[in-house]
Amino acid sequence: MSDEGDLGAVAAKGRTRGIVARHAGILVALVAAWEISCRMGWLDPLFFPYPSAILLGFWRLYITQGNIWPHLGLTMLEVLVGFLAGSALGIALAVCVGMSDRLRRYLKPYVVVLEATPRIAIGPVIIAAFGFGWTSKTAIVMLVCFFAPFVNTLNGIVGVEPEKQSMFRSMGASKVQTFTKLLWPSALPEISAGLRLAMASALGGALVAEFIASNAGLGVLITQYTGTLNMASAFVCVLTLSALGYFIFRGMEELDRIVVFWSDGDRTDAMSRRRKAAWRAKMGTTS
Amino acid sequence: MADRGDRRDMSVIRAEALRKTFGGGAVVAVDDADFTVREGEFISLVGPSGCGKSTLLRMVAGLLDRSAGTLSIHGRDVTGPNPAVAMMFQKPTLLDWRTAIENVLLPSEIGGRVTDDDRRKAMGLLRLAGLEDFAFSFPSQLSGGMQQRVALARLLQTGADILLLDEPFGALDEFTREHLNVELMRIVGEVGATTLFVTHNIGEAIFLADRVFVMTPRPGRIAGIVEVPFERPRRPSLQQSAEFNALVSKVRATFETETTAGEDA
Repeated sequence: MSDEGDLGAVAAKGRTRGIVARHAGILVALVAAWEISCRMGWLDPLFFPYPSAILLGFWRLYITQGNIWPHLGLTMLEVLVGFLAGSALGIALAVCVGMSDRLRRYLKPYVVVLEATPRIAIGPVIIAAFGFGWTSKTAIVMLVCFFAPFVNTLNGIVGVEPEKQSMFRSMGASKVQTFTKLLWPSALPEISAGLRLAMASALGGALVAEFIASNAGLGVLITQYTGTLNMASAFVCVLTLSALGYFIFRGMEELDRIVVFWSDGDRTDAMSRRRKAAWRAKMGTTS
Repeated sequence: MADRGDRRDMSVIRAEALRKTFGGGAVVAVDDADFTVREGEFISLVGPSGCGKSTLLRMVAGLLDRSAGTLSIHGRDVTGPNPAVAMMFQKPTLLDWRTAIENVLLPSEIGGRVTDDDRRKAMGLLRLAGLEDFAFSFPSQLSGGMQQRVALARLLQTGADILLLDEPFGALDEFTREHLNVELMRIVGEVGATTLFVTHNIGEAIFLADRVFVMTPRPGRIAGIVEVPFERPRRPSLQQSAEFNALVSKVRATFETETTAGEDA
């Protein structure tokens, strides 16, 4: 069994190496094609700067001038705080609404209307209320991050099979027990999916908010650089955002795999072994 | 078999003129049900879908209020879920994020702190259900039949002496179902619980039960009660015997006369 696993792992490693090499090749070819297109005059370097110029831009913005750091930090702060506050609020409210049929009936029309409203349309209003600083951007990110976790949490809680609820009732479970042992864990896969959606829109929300009106952040930096036709530096900001978005996405995926372990075969196996070991440690036997 | 005098004293479930209507009386799900269930008895409730057998079971479980009549368990009026009564559903209703043993321990957790005795009991029940080697498997790692066995062990972990089973193996294939029915008889016999088993399969109903309650739909009524005289332990081959088939015909006849009588009226 373990031999097979090792062989499988070796084979998988070999496969991964092959895939990485192939992708690296394609990437180099694409960048080279871009560079050549610029040199040959097929692409206007005024709008699509040489990849080499972008590379130099990275050096400049991150090392010699180092001016991207405060903006990057600020945007990340807005995203993080806005995401945490917005999704926490969304989940908490959904739990309250999910536990009370009456509250759900009363709130539903408002939720539908608010959901249909493009969140970013309220952006200028929020900026007017909170000013040009980071609080207004954070508030906008909060707004953007509120709905997906709210809707998903509510669906997750309301969608628990009636038979499971009957089972808890027949066991004489209290409302709190039913929530902590049934409703919440049942809703976790959907909550996690909602958080991923929220996180995906958080970065965009922060940028658009910075575009609307701001004095700092990556969004401001991009506007400034494109305004002065410093495209290489603007691309540095865009690529920075791509990397940021990628890592956020991967982080959320990893979080999902940890929290909702039972939807992943390998993690379920590992968890099964861990629970068995814990039982043996406690009871001295597994029979 | 005890004589009639003893039976009265030993009745654990007693229903008189029990009635359940839905939609403000528009739909009569259960009408005028009278029955008693004696201690340790295995009762099958058989009838077509929509005859009110699940409704009847849910009233006994205290999950549904009755509309009229009396219903008592151990001599006490049923007003809600009762620790002496445990119910099992057609779906395994296991919690996906818990191992088999953790699922079995759920009733103990809901009842208070889980002790080492609870843990040993749960492991013993899994052994009884033939799942000792799968105690630390998650539901997604178990087959449908194994999942229902876990649900059965969880049912017994409640410590209830009255077990209500609502077509517990109805979603499984014929072979698994037959096998689990035999297992169920063995396990319930070992525990000595009083059992109400709902099914729409006449053969299954007779094979398992001491008495079969035949229910007919619209309105849901207990049309007849058939005694099953076969000794235990019973083997699946019993179902090929002439006596068994005679009983199947008898149940079917009860059912058919009632239905036609209902249609004439």
